[in-house]
Amino acid sequence: MNEIFEPKIVAFVCTYCTYAGADLAGTSRLKYAPNVRIVRLPCTGRISPMFILKALQKGADGVLISGCHPGDCHFTHGNYHARRRWMVFRALLEFTGIPSERVKYSWISAAEGGKFADLMNSITEDIRKLGPFDQYNALIKETEAPATF
Amino acid sequence: MTRILQSDKLDNCVARWREAGLTVIGPVKNESSSSYAAVEKAAEFDFSLIMPDRSIKELFFPQTEPMLHYTIKKQRIDTSDFTPPPEKRIIFGARPCDASGLAIDDPLFGWDYKDNFWFQRRDTTVIVTIACTKADDFCMCTSLKLAPDSTKGSDVLLRPLQNNKGWQVEELTDRGRDAFNEIADLLQDGSGPAAPTAVVAEKFNLDACVAWLQNPENFESTFWREISMRCIGCASCTFLCPTCHCFDFQDEGDTYSGIRRKNWDSCSFALFTMHTSGHNPRATQSARWRQRIMHKFNYFPGKFNVNSCSGCGRCSRQCPVDMGITETLQAISTLPS
Amino acid sequence: MTIQETYKARVKKLLASGTVKMVIGYKPGTTADRRRPHFIRTPEEADQLVLDSACITNLSGYLLSEGLLSDEKAVAIFLKPDGIRSINILAAEAQLNSEQILILGFDSNDNQVTALEGEKVEEFTTLIESIKEQAPEALKNPLLEQIEGMTPKERFAFWQGEFSRCIKCYACRQACPMCYCRRCIVDCNQPQWVNTSSHTLGNFEWNIVRAFHLSGRCVGCGNCDRACPVNIPLRLINAKMAQEVLGAFDHFSGMSHTQEPVLASFKKDDSETFIL
Ligand code: SF4
Ligand code: SF4
Ligand code: SF4
Repeated sequence: MNEIFEPKIVAFVCTYCTYAGADLAGTSRLKYAPNVRIVRLPCTGRISPMFILKALQKGADGVLISGCHPGDCHFTHGNYHARRRWMVFRALLEFTGIPSERVKYSWISAAEGGKFADLMNSITEDIRKLGPFDQYNALIKETEAPATF
Repeated sequence: MTRILQSDKLDNCVARWREAGLTVIGPVKNESSSSYAAVEKAAEFDFSLIMPDRSIKELFFPQTEPMLHYTIKKQRIDTSDFTPPPEKRIIFGARPCDASGLAIDDPLFGWDYKDNFWFQRRDTTVIVTIACTKADDFCMCTSLKLAPDSTKGSDVLLRPLQNNKGWQVEELTDRGRDAFNEIADLLQDGSGPAAPTAVVAEKFNLDACVAWLQNPENFESTFWREISMRCIGCASCTFLCPTCHCFDFQDEGDTYSGIRRKNWDSCSFALFTMHTSGHNPRATQSARWRQRIMHKFNYFPGKFNVNSCSGCGRCSRQCPVDMGITETLQAISTLPS
Repeated sequence: MTIQETYKARVKKLLASGTVKMVIGYKPGTTADRRRPHFIRTPEEADQLVLDSACITNLSGYLLSEGLLSDEKAVAIFLKPDGIRSINILAAEAQLNSEQILILGFDSNDNQVTALEGEKVEEFTTLIESIKEQAPEALKNPLLEQIEGMTPKERFAFWQGEFSRCIKCYACRQACPMCYCRRCIVDCNQPQWVNTSSHTLGNFEWNIVRAFHLSGRCVGCGNCDRACPVNIPLRLINAKMAQEVLGAFDHFSGMSHTQEPVLASFKKDDSETFIL
């Protein structure tokens, strides 16, 4: 394979911090990898693990979930709840063989445009190195194939 | 003239059928569960099972089957059909209750509309049944007027020899004869004594049950609530049953393209009859259990003249709370009709 | 008197005196090693009661049967320690009022049944605390450790093999006392998060969702595992998640009827080493 692999990455972000951070990266004209599709949500507390499964189901090679730093949540503790859920969900994914390298979590504030751009770049590079999520893709393929027997 | 197939020749038969382009399928057990699965060698078969955990139905009516692919564009909708695979198969070592189950479902799938997904598989599959010499506490074919050596639904019936070294071959259909002509030189003439078939005690009086079920007054009987109180509403009975055949259509995809699939569904689920409005005509688990019994022993025979149960006993054997057709019909047989 | 007979006498008394309207216990099943749930409403029905080491099903889910507790009358139920813990969770999650439940506690070890002292769920707190002490050891499982030792690829392949057999009968869900949602997430289709079809992908998603929703809630009764008709080792995932919440949040499910659900609470200093 000569072509370089362009990973598909989905980022679920909260509107108050990380989305604003992404906005800042844009208005500051910071360049970052175009592989990331951003989905904006009101709060990290709204980012259900179902979203991660859906992204994988639709063929994402990586997922990022990001919101306000602890203490900064617009709704005071949405991100604290989210943090617990991620901790558990992450362990579950890891145990079933969905590597934690493919599902990442971060805190990015509205002021951290630079961190946002850097993270997009490093995540894209990391997942590019991992390559496509072949095992999951094989399951997706199977759903499109005729029944065997 | 009866012929005999010796166990030590079976591997050659498997190879021969495979060369002839048949997929060879039979009872297979791995550490945790058993089913009818494709094999390459005769050694993979496990004939010691009373029957595989999973019934033969999934080979003809898979748990999920893609039917068509759709794309929706501005002014048009395009679809392309999936067709069932054309491959030819031989199922070696089916149980009589499993084979009968297929025959029971044939009229259902061919009634007002001929279900090609079912019939194409039926037409390209040879079913070689082995008569049972063992049964367990849950087997109840005899209560359904079948037997451990029923020929219903089979193309060939094999009777195990007393010395356990092979089977007497009884060809029942042209399809079966063709498959065995393929291996004619591996068969032997003669007929060693066959092992006695399993003794399966009759567990209930079917006619009495049917009469009770047909009496409209019993539809609202408190019996239904009592007997199904411990039902937890899972679908293991219906999904393991060789004759349960309900399915659901699911569109998987999005507004623009996707695949329509036919998936197993079960009358045990509350969702099965749930209306969009939220109203559920079968609001309680007892109504759902009643439906399963009524469908099998009243409505289905009313339409197709055959009970929708072959007595395999899987529904009772695998029930997490030890319910099943047997217990219910046993209880009904003791009720005044 | 054997424990079974002692309990039988007690059950008859409870019903005859009107202390409870129903006792949920066990009766003989189809074969010698099977027991059936038994709903006892009259002293005579108690004659069939069985209590021995074959009584393994956690019966607590039946308490949520529609209408059973709505008249606020007491119900007695035979429970092992795991079942008692599930009463705590159901109470903590506002699914029932533990005041209404009279516990007939028992435990079995080496085919030997012993009675547990107490009637109200609070009276078992010391017992549950000692179970928590032993949990790190008790949750250990050689196969679990073997899976943890695998590479992610191998782990994925292992579960792919297991989940490919799933037929989506939802017996695991229906058998679990903690799976009481009127409408399970897999039964919702607006939007439909996971595939309802039983292809391997759909099965994988279903099993992840089930395990996640039971993280920190599962009491390890094994109902799901025993119910699965294709013998998927669900106990491994459950145990793994129990280890996780115990290690990360010192949370052991079903400690008390006022315990905060682990995923509906937080501490400001929860670990976050994995967050970038
Ligand atoms: S209803 Fe039960 S016994 Fe009858 S065929 Fe189905 S699974 Fe077998
Ligand atoms: S998940 Fe399984 S082991 Fe855990 S509480 Fe539910 S049924 Fe019991
Ligand atoms: S009980 Fe087993 S087969 Fe049924 S849905 Fe659960 S995991 Fe799948």
